[in-house]
Amino acid sequence: MNDPFEIVGIRQELQNHQMQEQENRRYRAIPWFSVVVLLIIVGGCLFCEKFMTKDPSYMDLKNYTVAPCREFLFGTDTMGRDIFSMIWYGGRQSLFIGFVATMVSTGIAIIFGTVSGLAPEWLDMLLMRMTEILLSIPNLLLVIFLQAILGKANVLSLSLVIGVTSWTSIAKVVRTEVRQLRSNEYVVAARCMGGGFFYILRKHLAPNFLSSIMFMVVMNIRSAIVEESTLSFMGIGLPLEIISWGSMLSLSEKALLTDGWWIILIPGAFLVVTLLAITGIGDYLRKELNKKESYL
Amino acid sequence: MENDIILDVQHLSHVFRLNRKTKVKAVNDVSFRIKKGEIYGLVGESGSGKSTVARCVMNIYKPSGGEVFYKGIPVCKNREFQKNRKMLQMTRQMIFQDSASSLNPGIKVRDIVAEPLRIQSRKIRTDKREIEKQLEMVGLDGSYLEKYPYELSGGQRQRVAIARALLAKPDLIVADEPIASLDVSIQAQMVNLFRKLQKEQGFSFLFIAHDLSMVRFLCDRTGVMYHGGLVEEGTTKDVFSHPEHKYTKALLEAIPVPDPREERNRRVMKCNEG
Amino acid sequence: MRGEQVLYYGKKLLIFIISVWVLSLVTFYVSRLAPGDPLISYYGERVEKMSPEEREWAEEKMGLNEKISVQYARWIRQAFHGNFGISYKYKMDVLEVLKSRIGNTLVLGGIGFLVIFFGSLFLGVVCAWKEGGWTDRMICKVGTVISCVPEFWLALVLILVFSVSLRWLPSSGAYAVGRENNIMDRIVHMILPLTVIVTEHLWYYGYMIRNKMLDEIRAEYVLLAKAKGMKKSRIMLFHCMRNIMPAYLSIMAISVAHIMGGTYVVETVFSYPGIGTLAYESARYKDYNLLMVVSLLSGIIVIVCNMAAQIINERIDPRIRISRQPDMQEVREYE
Repeated sequence: MNDPFEIVGIRQELQNHQMQEQENRRYRAIPWFSVVVLLIIVGGCLFCEKFMTKDPSYMDLKNYTVAPCREFLFGTDTMGRDIFSMIWYGGRQSLFIGFVATMVSTGIAIIFGTVSGLAPEWLDMLLMRMTEILLSIPNLLLVIFLQAILGKANVLSLSLVIGVTSWTSIAKVVRTEVRQLRSNEYVVAARCMGGGFFYILRKHLAPNFLSSIMFMVVMNIRSAIVEESTLSFMGIGLPLEIISWGSMLSLSEKALLTDGWWIILIPGAFLVVTLLAITGIGDYLRKELNKKESYL
Repeated sequence: MENDIILDVQHLSHVFRLNRKTKVKAVNDVSFRIKKGEIYGLVGESGSGKSTVARCVMNIYKPSGGEVFYKGIPVCKNREFQKNRKMLQMTRQMIFQDSASSLNPGIKVRDIVAEPLRIQSRKIRTDKREIEKQLEMVGLDGSYLEKYPYELSGGQRQRVAIARALLAKPDLIVADEPIASLDVSIQAQMVNLFRKLQKEQGFSFLFIAHDLSMVRFLCDRTGVMYHGGLVEEGTTKDVFSHPEHKYTKALLEAIPVPDPREERNRRVMKCNEG
Repeated sequence: MRGEQVLYYGKKLLIFIISVWVLSLVTFYVSRLAPGDPLISYYGERVEKMSPEEREWAEEKMGLNEKISVQYARWIRQAFHGNFGISYKYKMDVLEVLKSRIGNTLVLGGIGFLVIFFGSLFLGVVCAWKEGGWTDRMICKVGTVISCVPEFWLALVLILVFSVSLRWLPSSGAYAVGRENNIMDRIVHMILPLTVIVTEHLWYYGYMIRNKMLDEIRAEYVLLAKAKGMKKSRIMLFHCMRNIMPAYLSIMAISVAHIMGGTYVVETVFSYPGIGTLAYESARYKDYNLLMVVSLLSGIIVIVCNMAAQIINERIDPRIRISRQPDMQEVREYE
């Protein structure tokens, strides 16, 4: 330290300090707020039996459209159901649809994208044109048709319908990734050794492209929840008896007439907060993954 | 006598279609045979079609003409291939040029080496000791089992690739420029390793390279490829001492001589024949 | 070069025709295979009291008793002559029905699109300009929150506030009864739907612009321009903007489809008489002829926009034409 010419390169302590800083920033970058909020909502929905004040499906005909008060924390809807209990209970359906629909669409997207990515040029062209045509059918109509074919809507059929109509954008990304990965010699080697389609997909392709679709998958959960609520609101999703955030909001036309603001605002607020939390996590994922890419 | 030949390539040709107008004849009417337990070297400059030959032999490309017989089986016929699929995939193994790309970066060495067995027998757990033995055979010790490919050097990675190829106890190994991406000192090590392994295990070996000195040292017989065609073939000794084709002569001239005085006096001949 | 261009656009045209044909085929089959009674939309409640003979007669009159392939063949033959059949519900030529509604949707969607186009450009550039500053952070935060609000709920809240509580703006329709020609009245009716459409999409594209702009100002030519003493505004507005324009145009071409989809939802919430409500009604009540025309129309718009985006990508941006790898990046950035 006495000799000013001693130091070559970064000073040791400085380096440590910077590392610490980086570590800290990483730690801080995790969207704790979103994670905690999402955990509370998911937890609350899963264990709603423990703290629900009323039976969510019981129609209390004496107390319909009651504003929030002691007894009915968030008020009652136009059919006399307790909104506080309904929110937690209905959240199950909405979140379930979000996850299942995303699983369906991600599954289709991965299979379709991989087939298209591994296929020879002409088949790839054909498959991509097919998705484009599928995309050009208005989503709303497609959902109505599918719903009609599947019969009366329930949670599973609606997740299926939403999943089946929302896989194309992920499939496109999977396809481009696979197109790049497949020229890697380890894929060729695995084929030589006789690895089948699913073996190669599971072992060599999926681990390498998962990071690039992770953000889209999270966002897909979000859009599936939005779609559920929109469809149920318009009367083509879940019927009134099946409680979800969307079907709760489908009463809002009546609520508008009776000035029942809580029927519209409270379930919607829950919906928006959930979506925000998911978006926060999705954004974090995207930034994290982008960072890794730029380091390579 | 027929049973003595493990690989018989007859009039193989392959055309790449770039677009509707342009075609590239990568391989044009190539025939050669490899006997059991023989090391066959295929040399030529880059772009001469060596790798395409290797890939046709391994059924990665479907050749546009000719036929490849492996143990008497015409492997380019789809039906024959399907019939003997398992045997073909186990007893022929390939080693690639770029070890960074031929090993999946996200998988540990132990899983990479066990891959051929796992694919074929669907066993989830492969005997750890067997893999370790395999690694020792190629000069790596057990500590490498739990490492990822990016933690290894190029030479080590190539050794892992060799271990993977050997695990299936193959009868034929096709190595597509396995030493081209390595440093010269490592190259010599690898060639020695190949020699040792071949002596121990007795597999046949199709060795593709553009470095003549390595081929001279390693191979029993050598074929020279030029512009997609096989221009010369024979025992390595013959090819190197009495080259017949102009291109072979040019290639031989280009080998550096480890003596500066002699090196200075050499004239490098060019081969301009199309 | 010219011949090549003719070939290029000819190919696009061929793909377009095939796409439209497949689209019509799929819509026709799927809509007819879906359960539901088209007679209801024609006869209404009376269907339930019909005897089987009457039913058969009605179905025969509307040509619904034949095989679907025969029906499709007839439909396509008539469509070539400009005859798309009559709407079961409105008992008019479907084109007439469409004509009465399409103006409303075009005005709503068109104005919405223009506002989004320029608004997002403006917002994105402002954010990139003030990168990291409080303006940027504010806009980003607010934008993220708003983009999380489902369209229909935003519409409900706006109705609740501005129509129910404050009673400033009407909550439904395109005009008050008997005032079809009053332009002021129409504008007043359009404020809320337009607000919803614009706020829903504005930040999505604005954010995209912002990120593209940020990538762009990190390029080295910007450093050079700055070293030469060029002003920040000039660099950003002339040089960076020109470079992001092709990508932005192609994204906006695809956005037309999204905005159209959004318009459909908004129209249903506000009972705005446009194509969206028409599509919704006809699909639900099996008004086959109307449904075909509406879905073909939307499909054609989407296909045309996608093709425009492709052409922009392949033809206009010289960088992409050289590198020949447009696909991946566009998909990535768009999502």
